[in-house]
This record gives sequence, C-alpha cells and structure tokens, in this order.
Amino acid sequence: MSLRQVQRIARPTTVEEAWAIRRAAPDASRFLAGGVDLVLYAPPSVTTLIDLSRLGLDGIREEGDDLVLGAMATLSQALESPLVAGSAGGFLRDVLRRVASPPQRNLATIGGAAVRGHPWSDVVTALLVLDAQLETYDGREARLSLAAAGAGEGPSPLVRAIRIPGAWRGSRAAFEKFSRAAVDVAMLNCACSALVERGTCREARVAVGGTPALARRLLDVERSLAGTKLTAVETRAAAEEAARGIEARDDLRASAAYRRRLARVGVERCLESIAGRGEETG
Amino acid sequence: MIHLTVNGKERDWDALPGDTLLDVLRREGITGVKKGCGSGDCGACTVLLGGRAVNACLVLAAKADGAEVVTIEGVSSDGALHPVQESFLEAGAVQCGYCTPGMVLSAIALLARNASPTEHEIREAISGNLCRCTGYVKQVEAIERAAARLRGER
Ligand code: FES
Ligand code: FES
Repeated sequence: MSLRQVQRIARPTTVEEAWAIRRAAPDASRFLAGGVDLVLYAPPSVTTLIDLSRLGLDGIREEGDDLVLGAMATLSQALESPLVAGSAGGFLRDVLRRVASPPQRNLATIGGAAVRGHPWSDVVTALLVLDAQLETYDGREARLSLAAAGAGEGPSPLVRAIRIPGAWRGSRAAFEKFSRAAVDVAMLNCACSALVERGTCREARVAVGGTPALARRLLDVERSLAGTKLTAVETRAAAEEAARGIEARDDLRASAAYRRRLARVGVERCLESIAGRGEETG
Repeated sequence: MIHLTVNGKERDWDALPGDTLLDVLRREGITGVKKGCGSGDCGACTVLLGGRAVNACLVLAAKADGAEVVTIEGVSSDGALHPVQESFLEAGAVQCGYCTPGMVLSAIALLARNASPTEHEIREAISGNLCRCTGYVKQVEAIERAAARLRGER
C-alpha cells in the first residue's frame, strides 16, 4: 500500500513549528512518527505528513523518580532500555516483547502506540496500569493522564513523551494477553498493578483491553482491591468483578461471553502473579 | 528524491512523497525484497534499515532518507553466500523460497546482536516472517547452524 495522495513531507525542527503546520491543516495533515499506521490507514484527505524525527524526542531518561519515554523511541528501543527493564520489575519490557513482531517493533514508536489507540493495543493497557501521563504540546506544554486523553475538539496535541510516575515505577505489575497466534492481535488483554506495603495492597490499577473496545481502567475493581492482602479469595473476587465490569462485545475474534471468561482468567492470573503465587505463562 | 545507501552503494533514488521503501527498491529492480501482503503481516519485504530488520512495506521512503539499507542482494560477498544462506541450504530450510530473503535478513539481524540465541529467541526473531511451506523447524535449525558457524564452531 502506498500513500499516493501525499504531496509533501514537512520536516520541522521544533515542536512549535510542527504544531503550527498541524494546526493550519487539521484534515490534510498528520504527524509522522513510526509511520506504520499512516502507511496502512491514512485517510485519503491527508496530503501533508509532518515528520517528527528531528525534534529530539527519542530519548529514554529518568527525571527524579519518574521514567520519561520520548514519544519517538521505538518499541524496540524501549524494550532494550535498562531503565525500562528496571521499572516495575521489568513489566513494560515483558509486555513489549509480546507486541507485534520484531520488525514492526523496530518501526513503531511508543508515542504512536500510546495515542493511536487501536482497540487491541497491548501498550495502552500496560501504560494505563502504570498511571502513564502524556507530555503534550498544542501551543503550550501540558501533562495529561493517558486515561483522560483522546477527548477534546480539533487535532489532538503533539505527544512529546510518555511519563511513568515514580510511585508506579516501583509497583508490582503483570500483564496477560490472549491471542490466536503470537503475532496476532489480542482477543483480550489485561494488566494489573499494585502498590504493596507490608503485605497489604495500598492501591491497585486494573485495565482490560480488546473487549473489543480500547482498554480502560476498572475503577470499581481497583477500589475493591485497595486494603486487601491479595489473598486467593480476594483476587478471585476481583477477577469476577472485572469480568462483570467490562463492556464485552462479539466480533470476529471472540464472543462477548468468551471475552468475559478471558477477563476473569487474565485478571486473576495477573493478580496471582503480583501476589507472588503466579505460574509462569506466555 | 531520497538519498540511500543500499547494499553499500550510496546514491539518490527517485521517490514520491507517499512511496514506501518497498516501492522504491522494487521499482529499481531490487526484487529480492518481496511484496507478500503490503500490510506488515508477512515479513517477505524484510530489509535491514540501519542494521535492524524492518518491514519495507511499512516504511515511508522519506523516513529512510539518509539511511543505510541492506537487502538480500547485499548479504553475499564476492559470490560467496552469507553463512546464514549456506546454513539455510544445508538444513533444507528453503522450499518455494518466497519467505527466504526476509527470513535470512531477520536471522542476520538477530545474530548480529545475539551470537548464541536460544531456540525461543530464534522463533521470536522470525515471528514476523510467515512461511507457508516449511513449518519453521528447518529454518530454526538453519539459524542454529548459522550461529554455530559464525561463532567458528563448524
Ligand atoms: S509485504 Fe511487507 S510484511 Fe508483507
Ligand atoms: S519456503 Fe515457501 S513460504 Fe517459506
């Protein structure tokens, strides 16, 4: 497939410049990060691509206790980063290993994966339970939580980085994905994380994606888990609550009923692994 | 127009703004890069871009401007096959051959980073290269052989 309609590739060197081009042509322009999605799905109205590769957004660094992933870092770069490996027990690294294929991971960027929001996205599910924030620019710099992103009018802001707050970098987290083949997209995916103090779960995050809608957090389940000891009975109850709480639908990959089962099994496996009782899977 | 070093030769290549790297290479006769699906699923179009395996059908040519590209045409030297190619022949890992260029390049990229991959790591590295003929067993074996060969063990 080619983008026959594209007439121009802009190569801005500052975020201000990039945003000005984008804002001047909301329908006719798109930001070009890894390009994977654009090549496949760019709407026919798009005639200008704004290449973000000269904005210096590809570094992965620590800022205080936070982990900051430049939006243009590829999934492979993130996967190989010692800082990523050292966060939440290597959780994000282990998730990225299961995303797409190595050649695709060498192209796709973490920023693109976070904001493109494919309903089956594993990356979004994983980032949600790390309380990830987007560092954006739309005329001014802002930080918004990934969970709240995507609303609003007009072109969505330029994403400069994904920030994982220090508290959740130190969380225990686990991920499960159910797909027909290793490189296939998920029939359902889920992730959980917990801040555990002296055996008690102080705060938890639970997200389920590919329902087949895009991942979202299950706030009720998170509340139920807070204050528990993550015993087998408690994790089972939370998993059942998660299965009831998702908006499951039928599609070509799986039925709603099957998805609810997967959610129950997946969330329970994640929580069991966080509680230190998990079996190696995947 | 974009500037590329392809298989060691540096020059300008004709490219429209919306062309993929796959379009550009094949148009100029570099047809070892196969177009299986055009949508990132099959891996037949795998090339090395800056030393990393990528799907050429998913790369906008403009993004590759200034980069170094290696295709299957560029892996042998002075008529001698690359050790990975040799191993594919020895192990009987080639049937129709359509997936082979991509598979070989994925293997080369893997072995450049990891001289002693486990079977799991090999399977992972070629997980984006679909083969309709072989069932992958011989290809995994071929890559194990190639690794040993490159370590100087065979
Ligand atoms: S042609 Fe590129 S992955 Fe199939
Ligand atoms: S040898 Fe025929 S597709 Fe692999």
